[in-house]
Amino acid sequence: MNNASLHQFSTLTVILLMLAFYGGTYLLTLGIRKKKEDADAFMVSNHRVGFGIGAASMTATWIWAASFYAAATSGYTYGVSGPIHYGLWGALMILFIYPFGRRFRKLAPDAHTLGELIHARHGSSSQLILALSNLMGSIISLMVNFTAAGALVSVLSPLSFQAGVIIAGVGVLLYTLWSGFRASVLTDFAQLVALMAIAVVIIPAVFFAMGGPSELVAGLDNLSAEQANFFSVDAVLNQGAPFFVAVLAYAIGNQTISQRLFAVKEEHIKPTFLTATIGYGAIVIGLGMIGLMALTLGIEPLNGDMNNLIPQMVSGYLPPLFIALFFILVIGSLSSTADSDLSALSAIMMADVYGKNIARGKPNPERMLLVGRLTMIIATAVGIVFASFSLDILVMLVFVGALWGAIVFPVIASCFWDRVTNAAFTTSVIVAMLVFCVARFEWVPLSGITGLIFEVLASVGGGVIIGLMAFGFLGRVIGFTAGILALLAMLIFATGFLRDYTVLLASLTAYGTSTLVCIAMSLTSREHFDFNSIRERVGNYDNHLDDGGTGNPANEPAPVSLATQR
Amino acid sequence: MTIIFATYVLIWPALTLGVLALICRAVWRDWCDARRQRRSLV
Repeated sequence: MNNASLHQFSTLTVILLMLAFYGGTYLLTLGIRKKKEDADAFMVSNHRVGFGIGAASMTATWIWAASFYAAATSGYTYGVSGPIHYGLWGALMILFIYPFGRRFRKLAPDAHTLGELIHARHGSSSQLILALSNLMGSIISLMVNFTAAGALVSVLSPLSFQAGVIIAGVGVLLYTLWSGFRASVLTDFAQLVALMAIAVVIIPAVFFAMGGPSELVAGLDNLSAEQANFFSVDAVLNQGAPFFVAVLAYAIGNQTISQRLFAVKEEHIKPTFLTATIGYGAIVIGLGMIGLMALTLGIEPLNGDMNNLIPQMVSGYLPPLFIALFFILVIGSLSSTADSDLSALSAIMMADVYGKNIARGKPNPERMLLVGRLTMIIATAVGIVFASFSLDILVMLVFVGALWGAIVFPVIASCFWDRVTNAAFTTSVIVAMLVFCVARFEWVPLSGITGLIFEVLASVGGGVIIGLMAFGFLGRVIGFTAGILALLAMLIFATGFLRDYTVLLASLTAYGTSTLVCIAMSLTSREHFDFNSIRERVGNYDNHLDDGGTGNPANEPAPVSLATQR
Repeated sequence: MTIIFATYVLIWPALTLGVLALICRAVWRDWCDARRQRRSLV
């Protein structure tokens, strides 16, 4: 795995760098440590995180190690527009969830997870579907981040892959274990400052070390016509479109985002999400430009591995100090996401599993904390084992992606439409998953009338995505109109063509099927849900005598019993 | 073309710097508020 062509640190240097990073982060958390933590602070910092910390945490969480490598790969593969097609859509995932996030927060100002809101709206089965998708997503993310740590350590030093995985896993667990989400958001800020400062220095440094603008412009001749075209169809279809489909699904299915949504002071949600959108886009697109620079100079990735591109460029053009900075950049980005995943997993187990389904009316805040901390320890062990043995998670990834797509419409509709029932939610997700499997694994041949049926379902899915995005920002009429127009466009242009792109077809089918089933079943129901009752059913778990900023009206501490209803 | 390409590449670190400054300023304000109210920043 080690590569002599890349700069190599000694074992001692790498250990010292990681010790400095994780030791410094751990010391930082000592400043906020309370002898007796409370469950609400452990999960959402008592709903009163300020704008600065909130925006920093949201940005740091959303940037993981893969962001840099994938953005640079996109720049190298698709040319001028490549970094945009990676970073822009990732950034829009944060932006597009914000209008729905405000609705979630309005309905359940004292929630800790989106699952709690869905539990109050529908009951256990819908909530557990959402919780399961969140759990699987965070475990995958944890494993990917630990894997990135192992890969980085083994590429830049004589240390083994497993050593890197274990150091990162134990380091993240140590500073997150006691204070949970509070430690996560505080360290996110410090990690983001380091990350941004290093990105601000490294991008121009590589740019000028490679010869500056004139040299790179001269190298544009090396690009193919598609790579030189800012409006490349190739880049849109292969990089932009699959990301676009996932925009809403990732944000809804990810507890790390909902957790911050419920933690930030309600009046700061908008600036927090906007700042995080711009921050994420700027860093990731900026680092993606390094891939574009490599392409213009005709540089080949070492051993044909695209993940070597950025280390190779930094190693080849900058002094060792910058390589150490790059090392910290990657370790910081993966650690900030991993600690958020640990906090997300603990909140799901504390609130969704223990609070709502095991304690059933009598959650004990101290026991909740124990559940949260045990979850972190077990999740870290699972992440380390999965990463160390490089287990194949492709099937898990496929199912999680489909599950996230299938729950988008039922979750959003449940928060706006009073006729959606628990049966409609649960059935629509299950049916959508089954139909997804039929398309994704081609259990029936996707040709003739069968192919057409799936393309129609996928077209509905496309219409739903566009419609929901427009609805979030521009309201019901424009959302509905945009959805119908998108559906018609898809029916005209995608039928007879989409069946050749199985992954995209299956993902869109999941959206479309769950929407159709959910609407059909809801229309047959006579239920009219009272949304005001959600606020009464979702509350805090501890009494907060110093509570100054929860979403609770009149800033009164919510009685423990509120959390225990249903 | 040289200026356009340089701007296209360097606008992102410039934006990053702007967001970094904004976040640091906001955290400083949050920290001052928290101290004044004698509570933890998070």
